[in-house]
Amino acid sequence: AIGKSKLIRDGESVLVGVSGGQASSCLLHLIQEGLSGRAHKKLRFKPGLVFIDEGATIGMSAEERLANCTQVLEIMEKTGFPCYLKALEQAMELEKEAFTNTADQTDTASVTSVENLTKLHRYDKAEEELLALMDSLKSVSAKEDLIKSLRQKILIDLALKKGYSKVMLGDCSTRLAVQLLTDIAQGRGAHVAMDTAFADNRCNDITIVRPIRDFSSKEVAMFNILNNVPSVFIPRITTKAADSVSIEHLTERFVTGLQAEYPSTTSNIMRTGEKLHTEKKSSSENQCAICQAPLDTDVPPSSALSAVRFSETVSRCSSVTLSIFSTDTACCGGGTCQSEGQKESECCGQGDGSCQSKESKLTRDEVESALCYACRLLIKDLGDVSKLPKHILDDISQRQRRTKMKSEIEDFLLDPSNTPD
Amino acid sequence: MPIKCNLCEAGAILKRPKTGDALCKNCFYFAFEEEVHKTITDANLFVRGETVAIGASGGKDSTVLAYVLKALNQRYDYGVNLVLLSVDEGITGYRDDSLETVKRNQQQYDLPLKIVSYEELYGWTMDAIVKQIGLKNNCTFCGVFRRQALDRGAILMKVDRIVTGHNADDIAETVIMNVLRGDIGRLQRCTAITTGTEGALPRSKPFKYTYEKEIVMYAYFKKLDYFSTECIYSPNAYRGFARAYIKDLEKIRPSAIIDIIHSGESLSVKKAVKLPTQGTCERCGYISSNPLCKACILLEGLNRGLPRLGIGKSHKERRKLNEMLAQKEEAGNEKTTPDNSTETTENASSEKSATGSPKQKCENCSCGQKCLSEKVEDLQLDRRKIDPTLIDF
Repeated sequence: AIGKSKLIRDGESVLVGVSGGQASSCLLHLIQEGLSGRAHKKLRFKPGLVFIDEGATIGMSAEERLANCTQVLEIMEKTGFPCYLKALEQAMELEKEAFTNTADQTDTASVTSVENLTKLHRYDKAEEELLALMDSLKSVSAKEDLIKSLRQKILIDLALKKGYSKVMLGDCSTRLAVQLLTDIAQGRGAHVAMDTAFADNRCNDITIVRPIRDFSSKEVAMFNILNNVPSVFIPRITTKAADSVSIEHLTERFVTGLQAEYPSTTSNIMRTGEKLHTEKKSSSENQCAICQAPLDTDVPPSSALSAVRFSETVSRCSSVTLSIFSTDTACCGGGTCQSEGQKESECCGQGDGSCQSKESKLTRDEVESALCYACRLLIKDLGDVSKLPKHILDDISQRQRRTKMKSEIEDFLLDPSNTPD
Repeated sequence: MPIKCNLCEAGAILKRPKTGDALCKNCFYFAFEEEVHKTITDANLFVRGETVAIGASGGKDSTVLAYVLKALNQRYDYGVNLVLLSVDEGITGYRDDSLETVKRNQQQYDLPLKIVSYEELYGWTMDAIVKQIGLKNNCTFCGVFRRQALDRGAILMKVDRIVTGHNADDIAETVIMNVLRGDIGRLQRCTAITTGTEGALPRSKPFKYTYEKEIVMYAYFKKLDYFSTECIYSPNAYRGFARAYIKDLEKIRPSAIIDIIHSGESLSVKKAVKLPTQGTCERCGYISSNPLCKACILLEGLNRGLPRLGIGKSHKERRKLNEMLAQKEEAGNEKTTPDNSTETTENASSEKSATGSPKQKCENCSCGQKCLSEKVEDLQLDRRKIDPTLIDF
């Protein structure tokens, strides 16, 4: 698949995300084989490996996390490529470095070897923040979704900082089929194509690549056994949980169950995904702040999104305010509405931007306007929006300011697409 | 202490499945009807003065649909004439009971009613079809035939538009089913609120955003009369899987159904993908993406005793054919069991080559154009003389 797409040039630097599980170990093995001289078609790129420790999400003790990291690092180091170790907590304190693309290959500060693992504890504060965020999300599906987004953010941030132009992930077809259905179930239909395609270019500079997407998990497992590829099993948030604890878990059971009876299920799903595509919006203001995908909330009046908003209005505000509904689509238009009694949303009655945002706290509506449909559902679950990682909140505040600026100078802006040449 | 309704000060008697708010009876009616009204006005479903047929099966969706449309038509003055249209598939124990319900509805709401049946349109009832084809693919037959039946009945009543009671759950199931089956063409169209505007009567789904549970609740509190058993042939349908999945999803996150519809609406297909284009059927003039519409193909298959004519994959048939030929060469004898695949390939070629037969009204499907059933019966299907090179898929 790598050769077919001609995406990876010779000598390019690629960051490989290793989770320690079967699929990524298989990917690692294949990369090694491909790079060595014996391969039939030699792969030519320079990989770097990264492992993200997510032990904080399930409350593993420090020793367990240490043990897991050690195991995975051992495997990674045998390959001889530069290895990085990151913890999920670091997603809470990423700084935005949008303008620096300088390759920083000589910085060996974060390259760890097995002996340096005692440094795990330096992220305590961030860990607390992460735990607070996880706790305030009531449903497991939302937690999983957030973990996934944070994980992606870390990978991309690391790639940017170290000068890697691509990120490679080890997702096999079964996992991707489950992901596709989960995305549909969460309302991410617009991003389905990006999440399961070979190349995912939601961020302007970094492309995410999934080379083993054509192999089912059974094939991967068999490959590993036949070639003695070592892998580490690290429990996730939904391991050994009841079936209906989260959407992704339920979908996994559904797909694997269906696959047993109708063997073509996963390939059908993958093929459907291949036929879809996502429209790419140009500016970064049209990207969701959490998942970086294009916003899909710009919808005509006859649509599911407006139906949902209307339902909420009709159920919560008194009938008097219904007549003003049509003028204000951002929130229920009227002073009598009580949206979940949050303190932050008391200023939601003024949709014209006269909201006094002297305090740094963002209102829930402002946060929502910068998110795609599915991430809004995530926020709905969240008790307090200020618990989100700081860089996301900063991003949203910046967008708000820019929108205000734009509305002030709107009359004088020329739209380049409209002027005939 | 009793929970207060969100909108008025009365005590709440129910919790809305869609948003989880507590509402009293009247506010719930209000909310429900307002939402349907908004769906109708946003999508501009109705034009003043047109006649609208309500596809009435006697089940909860169509009963509530008839009731609500009648009420909204009066309240907001859409200016449409409503009629009831019902289809008799010939399933004993299910359809005949539900038809009684439809007749009662007609009297209750005072709307004209027309019933069309498979027996008179096609010459086959669902019971007979199931006897031929078994329990696995019968929903295909019923669905295809019903669509045509509705259209023909509507034309007879001079109707401008058909509305059906498909609710949010149905559409979500369809989206999931189409993803699982890889049907891109349908996936694009299935979330549209109005389908089939060119060549055939437009059909709309005003209940597109209403949950099934809310429809049941509405009918329950308003004490509307409906027939609530499932089709006896449905348990083995593929749709059952999608339905079970959605029911589980709803338990985890009640808004999942609308989320799926939103996803379905936001899907966009790559331009390079080949989508089936719509033309018309050669035989009956109905809308179709192949030279012959699916109903005609299915009917041919039934009439000739080859029920699997329109179902299944042609390359598998080809493979079976080749295997069989190989077998035949070894054995050198006439085949003992009639194999559907050989006859299928014969049919495909004969249908495409048959032209110019005199126009006569076919008794079976009453399509008024050249009918091949008699011609085919004349054909001596000699299984020894098949030449694979002549078969054209």
